[in-house]
Amino acid sequence: MGQLGALYAIWLREVKRALRDRGQLVGGLSRPILWVILLGIGLNPYFRGEVYGETRFVIPYTYLQFIFPAVIVLNILYTSVQSAVSVIWDREFGFLREILVSPMPRSLILFGKVLGGATVAMVHGSLVLALARFADVSLAWEDVLHGLGLMFLLSFAMTCFGVIIANHIRSFEGFGVFSNAVILPLYFTSSSVFPLDPALTRAQALVVYPEWLVVLVEINPLTYAVDALRGTFIHFHQFSPMLGPIVIVAMAVGFFIVALFNFRRS
Amino acid sequence: MHGTDSVRPAAGDISDTIVRVEGLSKRYGRTVALDGVSLAIKPNELFALLGPNGAGKTTLIHILCTILAPDSGTVTLAGFDVVRQPRKARRQLGVVFQEPSVDDRLTVFENLNFHGLVYQVPAAVRRKRIDELLALVELENWRHALVRSLSAGMKRRVEIARALIHDSAVLILDEPTSGLDAQSRERIWAYLMQLRRERALTIIVTTHYIEEVEGCDQICVIDRGRILAIDTPAALKAAHGRELIRVIPDDAAAADEIRAAYPAAITGSDGAIVIEADDDAVAGTFLKQFGGRVRRLSIDSPSLESVFLSLTGRELRDQPAGKRERTHAFGRRGGEHTK
Repeated sequence: MGQLGALYAIWLREVKRALRDRGQLVGGLSRPILWVILLGIGLNPYFRGEVYGETRFVIPYTYLQFIFPAVIVLNILYTSVQSAVSVIWDREFGFLREILVSPMPRSLILFGKVLGGATVAMVHGSLVLALARFADVSLAWEDVLHGLGLMFLLSFAMTCFGVIIANHIRSFEGFGVFSNAVILPLYFTSSSVFPLDPALTRAQALVVYPEWLVVLVEINPLTYAVDALRGTFIHFHQFSPMLGPIVIVAMAVGFFIVALFNFRRS
Repeated sequence: MHGTDSVRPAAGDISDTIVRVEGLSKRYGRTVALDGVSLAIKPNELFALLGPNGAGKTTLIHILCTILAPDSGTVTLAGFDVVRQPRKARRQLGVVFQEPSVDDRLTVFENLNFHGLVYQVPAAVRRKRIDELLALVELENWRHALVRSLSAGMKRRVEIARALIHDSAVLILDEPTSGLDAQSRERIWAYLMQLRRERALTIIVTTHYIEEVEGCDQICVIDRGRILAIDTPAALKAAHGRELIRVIPDDAAAADEIRAAYPAAITGSDGAIVIEADDDAVAGTFLKQFGGRVRRLSIDSPSLESVFLSLTGRELRDQPAGKRERTHAFGRRGGEHTK
């Protein structure tokens, strides 16, 4: 008990707060609907362009199927960063102080907070799974379990990432700034909405896309997280199948260490 | 759960001093917030820190609470050094911060239970204390209400109850009554007085409302990072309290003449000329000289207000909101994804 009870208290608070925030829930539901139903169905016919009866892309999936795992990542990103933003308010004006004057060690406080944020983000990520039938993605049980594991690790990593950003922000300008300056750029450069065709060599890819974009996609760690979820849910990989899980775990560990370092100092 | 029955971890010698501050200094950049502050607080005392905004009270409190490191000097709390043994010191400590730190989206009970869990209070004790403390601050009927539906005064009462759930030895309240209406302020003080009567608890409270500290055991007047006086209210009044003659003259010419005759006079917060009366003769002399040229005149008997005035040379007064307060107001208005 003891420390574990304290950890549980902090985790429970995060989860309860998220459940009571209608706005966050509405966002978590409407975002995947917009992306999967509207964007996905809208762009679906243009995804596999045929030139003189030949399929240009060698990806044997519809756009809906292709974008489906990426929307899970998008929902996780939004929710994680959102819960990390609450760290700013907790820290500056209130509740964090109440925890900081308690005998709980700093590392455990951060761990509880990140676990709570990650739980909520994972739940928001799995809301997307409810749209699987519209995206024509068939879910096998073992895939779902495997996917939930990856989603939790990714949520954990992204919540830590959010805490790191929050720690470097002194004045708060609203969530819109985070959304446009952090979440969407990361999302769009993660090969989420367009593929880097694995059948093309790098030289060929550079003919199709400008080099800066290819480089951005390749250095964005989220690219590999998206790839891992794609591998799990539609069994399609653009990169080596091992790379995704390795990058996700590395992000979870690395970001937590940096976040802890920042958190201890503040 | 009277504090006297409970077993507290063995600490250093706290029989005569529970909080000891020695040579404490802290500066922010070039601003000196605390300048060599030393004080000692006895167990079960109600100790008031009195000073205007920006006097260094909150800095001192934050160092006591272990969330701010001093530049130099030491603080021991129940025998534990707050810099070297912060977690042991924190266990002895209940804190009510200046800014509300209850979670708006949790209920009253959830906030209190959270605190109990974090301080590792066993479940049965936790439930019992929550019941007792809710009764103390008269919020039994609000147990399952979301905190955001409570008034500012009620939130403060939740915070006071919360700070006592782990049976703290020292209760620190930073401006617990600021921003509250007169009735709520009175109630908060009534709870503090009741706590002092009923349990073994040292209470440290800061305020810039001078009328509130009359009932305290010790008053420490602090201004610009320095301690100006520490004593009982009665002793402070006897030593520094003087009668104050407040005058509103008929016209500017009379004002100039009065100022010439009493160069030590200062301007009060309402624009009146305030003259300190060192002895009874002053009032008589003044009336003889200026009696016909004064629109309004009142004589204040020695009060803590006059003590503060004579120690600092100015009256206690509210100051405009700083950047921090404005940002906080943004959050209270609902901000974006804040509460």
